[in-house]
Parts: sequence; C-alpha cells; structure tokens
Amino acid sequence: MHVGFLLIAIVLSVFAGRLLQLQAIDPGSYAQMAADEGTQRVVLPATRGEILDRNGEPLAETVDGRMIVADPQVTRPVAARLATVLARRLGVDYFQTLERLRIENSRFQYVARQVPAAKAEKVVADVKEMFKDEDGRPFAGLMTERDPLRVYPNDEVAANLLGFLGTPKDDGSAQALAGLEDSFNKYLSGTDGEARYEMGAGNQIPLGDNTVTPAVDGKDLRLTLDRDLQDYVQRVLQQTVVGAGGESGIAMVMDSRTGNFLALADYPTYDASDPYRYDDKLYKSSALSDVYEPGSVEKVLTVSSLVDAGLAFRTQKFRVPGKLFRQDRPIGDYWEHGTLRLTLAGIIAKSSNVGTVLAADQFGRGQLRRYLTAFGLGQRTDIGLNGESKGILPQGAAWTSQVDDRIAFGQSLSVNAVQMITAVNTIANGGVRVSPSLVMGRARTDGGQEVGTDAVTSRRVISAHAAHETMLMMERVLDPEEGVAPRAAVPGYRVAGKTGTAQRVGENGGYDGSTTVSFAGFAPADNPRFTIYVVVHSPRAGSGGGSVAGPAFSKLMSFTLRRYGVPPTGGKANQTPVEW
Amino acid sequence: MSSTAPQIRRLQTVAPRLAQAALERARLTVVPRTRRRRAPRVPFVTFVSIILLAGVVGLLLFNTSMQQASFRATALQKQATDLGAQQEALELDIANLRKPSRLHQEAQRLGMVIPSTATAVIDLRTGRILGDPTPASAGDRIPLHMPGPKKPRELDPKTKYVQADAPAKTDGASGTSGASARNR
Repeated sequence: MHVGFLLIAIVLSVFAGRLLQLQAIDPGSYAQMAADEGTQRVVLPATRGEILDRNGEPLAETVDGRMIVADPQVTRPVAARLATVLARRLGVDYFQTLERLRIENSRFQYVARQVPAAKAEKVVADVKEMFKDEDGRPFAGLMTERDPLRVYPNDEVAANLLGFLGTPKDDGSAQALAGLEDSFNKYLSGTDGEARYEMGAGNQIPLGDNTVTPAVDGKDLRLTLDRDLQDYVQRVLQQTVVGAGGESGIAMVMDSRTGNFLALADYPTYDASDPYRYDDKLYKSSALSDVYEPGSVEKVLTVSSLVDAGLAFRTQKFRVPGKLFRQDRPIGDYWEHGTLRLTLAGIIAKSSNVGTVLAADQFGRGQLRRYLTAFGLGQRTDIGLNGESKGILPQGAAWTSQVDDRIAFGQSLSVNAVQMITAVNTIANGGVRVSPSLVMGRARTDGGQEVGTDAVTSRRVISAHAAHETMLMMERVLDPEEGVAPRAAVPGYRVAGKTGTAQRVGENGGYDGSTTVSFAGFAPADNPRFTIYVVVHSPRAGSGGGSVAGPAFSKLMSFTLRRYGVPPTGGKANQTPVEW
Repeated sequence: MSSTAPQIRRLQTVAPRLAQAALERARLTVVPRTRRRRAPRVPFVTFVSIILLAGVVGLLLFNTSMQQASFRATALQKQATDLGAQQEALELDIANLRKPSRLHQEAQRLGMVIPSTATAVIDLRTGRILGDPTPASAGDRIPLHMPGPKKPRELDPKTKYVQADAPAKTDGASGTSGASARNR
C-alpha cells in the first residue's frame, strides 16, 4: 500500500516537474512551437496595377505566372529525357537545363521563371504523368511556385515610356528597371497581405485559427496616350529617321487645349517584352533626357514675345542684309541673299536668322529671357518620368549680347523636346501655357510628386492677340510659294508651323557638323486641336526641317485629325505679304 | 455627555415594545407533511442519454460535414485558380492577336495602307462633303518591323570584301595555260 503511494508520488512529481518546466520556464516559445506545427503562413501577394492607355487598352499588365523548379536528386536519372521535353515545351536552353537537372548536392534548381501559370501547370502535370515510377506514383522532381509575370502586350509601343520589370528580387518583389514602371513603382505595387491558418493533411482545418490580412492591390496607372496613335507615330518616325539616314528622332502629338500627350515616340526604341536583347542606353525617353539646340522653331517664341510686348507686328517692314556683322562672327542665313525687304511674317516664312536678330533688337535687357522662362524653357516639365534634363537657358553674365542674338533664332540654348512642344503649344492654345501631362487623373511618383491631368497648371504667357498674329505668320511657312515647308501641309486644313535646322553639339562640346532638323506646328490653325513636333537628329547632309520633318508632320497630323474626327473648317490660308 | 442621557433612557422604554411585536410575528406553525413521491428514474436517464448521444453524433456529423466542406473548398479553390490561369492565358492569346504589329502585318498582306492623302468628311446634318478625297497609294505603306537590336561588334562582324582578282587570276592562269596548251 505504502509502496503504491510512493510510486504514485514519484510519478506525479515527475509530471509536476515537467509541468513546471513547460509552464514556468519560457512557456511562450512552446506555445509558439505548438501553433507553428500545422500553421500555414501564406503571403497574399498584391497584384501590380496595370498601365493603360487613355481608352483603357492595357500597355502593361500582370498575369499569374509560375517558376518551375527541379529537385536534381530526383531528376538526375532521367535528366536527358526530361531536358528534351522541357526544352521543347518551354523553349528553355537544352544544355543549361540538362546541367541543372544533374547538379549534385542540390535540391532546388530553377528550370524556368515567369512562365504563364496555365502553361507551367500543364507542363508539370504532363511531366508528372510521363515520368511516373513503376508503382504508378507521379514524378516528384518538378514543382511550381508563384512567380507573377509582367506582360507588355504591344511589344515596342511606348516602350521608352513604360520601361519594364526585371527578374523579381529574391523576396519576390518586382524590380522596376526603367520608365514609368520605375518612377511609379510604389503606386503600382500595392502592399502584400498575409493569411495564417491551420492545415491538416493538405486541407484547412475548419474552426482552426484563421487570420487574414488582405493584400492592397496596386493602383492602375492610366496614361493620356492613345495606343493606336502612338503605334502609328512610332512607325512614321522610324520611316522618317531611316529615310533621312538619321541617327535618332522624336515625334510627339499633343492635345492643344489640354496639354495631354496623345503620343510620345522615340526612335530608336526597344521591345519591352524582350528588353535584354537591346542596348540599355535605349531604356529611356530621349524626348525628356536628351537636350539639343532647337534651332529656328524657337523663332516663333521670339516673335510672339515681340508682338506681345508691342515691339513688332506682322506686317512690320525690315531690310534684311545677307550677313549681319556683330561682335564675334557674322550671322548669316541658310541661303545666300543680298539685302531683302521682308515683313516680319516674311522673316518667319523664310526663316531668316538675320531678320529675327534685327527684330529682337527691340527687346529690352532680360526681356527675351523672361519670356522664354515663362514659356517653360530651362525648367523641368515633370510629366512623371525620371531622368529629365532641363536644358540650358543661359543667365546672368552668361547671357552676353552675342548669346542674346543667337538665342533669338534658337542657338546657344538647349531644350528637351517636351519643353519645346509645350512652348509651341502655348501659341496654339491662345497664349496660355498648359503644363504637359502623360498621366490621366492624379498619381504620385516615388519621388513624391503629384502629376497628372488633375495637377495641370496653366498661365498666360502672351496675349491672345499675339498668339493669333504668330499663328498667321506661322501659316505662311507652309505657303507653296513663299514658305520653306510646303510639304508639311495637310490638304483641306489650315496648318501653322515652323521648321528648324540647328547645328548639333558633338561629344567634344563644339558643333560637330551634324544637324538637328525639326518641324513643330498645329492644326486646324483657325481652331487648334493638335500640336505635333517631329525632330530628327543627324540626318544626312543637306536635309532641312521642311524636307525631312515636314512630310512626317503632315502624315501624322492628317492621321490624327482623321482619327479624332476633326472636320476641315473650310477656311483659306491667310495671305499676309512676306515682302514689301 | 449629559445631553445624550435622556435619549438612552427613551430607547430603554421603546425596546421591549419592539421585542413583543417580533415575538408575536415569530409564532410558528408546523407545515403539513407532504407525501414524498419518487419520480421514476429510467425515463430521465434515457432522455439525458439520448440528448447526449444525439449531441455527440450531431457534433460528429457536423464536424464531418465541415471537413467535407473544407475538402471541397480546397478543391474548388484550386479549380478556380486553374480556371483563372486558363482565362489569363486565353486573354494573352487575344492580346497577341490584336496587337498593332500583327494587325499591320495582316492588313498589309491584304494590300491595305493607312492613307495620308486628303480625305473627305461628310456632314451628316447637311449631307455636304467637305474636302477633296484622294485615293491612298502604296507610298503610304509604313514599316512593319522595327530594326532588330544592335549586336555587339564581336557577334556582328562587318561584311568583308575580298578582292575579286584572285579568281580572275586563276581564270587568267587557266586561260594562259589554255593558251599555252593551245600554243603547244
């Protein structure tokens, strides 16, 4: 009897000791261990937002993807056959796959990444069936894991703006490498959620612990671009640059009233669905990142400022000599001439540097610079892409009288193409500069900047009268007799525009003999709807803005007017005299 | 102290009266004895057992059905994921079929171009035709393909031009040999 009690006491003491150990010494960690056993933690990945065009057509979207992973310990015996199947079905490299399937001392090797889910699951299911063992058990050497896939369904359309995602980082988060994908990475990514639940035999245990923190999906980024127009503009730009033997080019279509970009094309460009085959220097929008001298297109800014300041008028008479001898070297025109008797409209129509300098002599000190600043030159346009260069508008002591003369006709200053089209659009928009936009609505960049059509600012730069007068002068540029760019005309519509041919600054910092030719204009001139700017860098010698960029402008403008159903106003071009 | 003395005296006279009242109220009578009935135990035990059994069985059934539902939920979840992936794959196919580059190719194969010549607009209110339409021509064709990526110089060797006088020489040689043969 006593022995029995003693035994029971001993046993109970052991239990008590164990209880003390479990409950008194670090009970938390034991409870945690018990909970972890059988608790499944699943990251609920946030879906990355899409990038859409203005009509909701996807430009970049995320689809469910899988990585296919192999366990070489299992795959080694059948590596050769398996590699053949995988190479054929997934398009992976046979030899690389074979090597991976045979690696020793590893139980985890990537076979393929970012394969569309349906395809990956099908391939793995087929392989499981094909390589099952004698007992009929499915093959266990291949597994799939979640690996979302970013798709750019239109390949090269707007690639320079969209950018792309690289191979995901190790933690599975997206790695944005360029363009809007990069500058709006946070906006697009969203926040991952998490679910915890208890699992038993591969199924969730009902009434078990279950907590879910839902994922916050990334927001969609809607652009002002029109996919089909963007595609057409890119193709016409390519044709123009290649046809002119040029090095690169930019073409843009802007809605004159809202400042929305309907198309913003760069050439050369790359394929966003296959970016690594291209030079990484192409992963940017040269319309923002590269600056150049605008050349004669800038004359319309000078002349409209003169008219606004009351210092000149359309039919004002000028005696324009062939050469103008000023401080350091003579200023001449692109064609040889004696003294011409040109009106201000004639100076624009024939694009005379000398005439423009003579007209700009009316400006007081600093006046031209104030106007150009108001037009937005020398300042970032901040449309939502990283890496914008703001160009150079000389100031202070750097603005000498020689510089003043040259800036009047578009030399000695540098701009990016977005600044320039926005400045010219000010004239189309009746003298009010609207800030350009690429994003619909409002969105915040990773840099913390609010951009978009809801964040547009506008300011009056020149009077409506000055804008109208400038338009009338720009219309003379397309005159078949008097103008320099008759080939930019769009049949049936009144068009106002200006050519530009500027020397290019080479890598050594001086002019290298190549040129930048361009054409900027808007139509219908009597009620502007679209502003288009075409720039071609380094075309073959002898090319001019009128002969290279002009025809491209005409093509793009007629397509755009037709696409948006803008009827001809039926007006006739004005006939302001160019000579007196 | 002298002031509280009369109060105490008054209490002493009140107290016996209260005690009398209590005594009258406490006069108790015996409760009549009730007959003690013994309830039959069997039905009660049966009843409780049945409830217990029903509860246990119910709980078991409930649990089983929940497990069943959980299996089904897992299976349906998987099916939904599969179908979602399938839908995405089909949507990708559609996107591939309707992407601009393919449409351009198909259209050009049919001989279509995007006109850049003058077009006309019909004013539906007045029926008037604005503009002077001109047919598009093959000159309106736009490039179908973007130039491919530039390869590194090592992978893209420049075409080498070899002077073609070598075969000419052999020709000449054979010619001379022929001539010499003839001479011979």
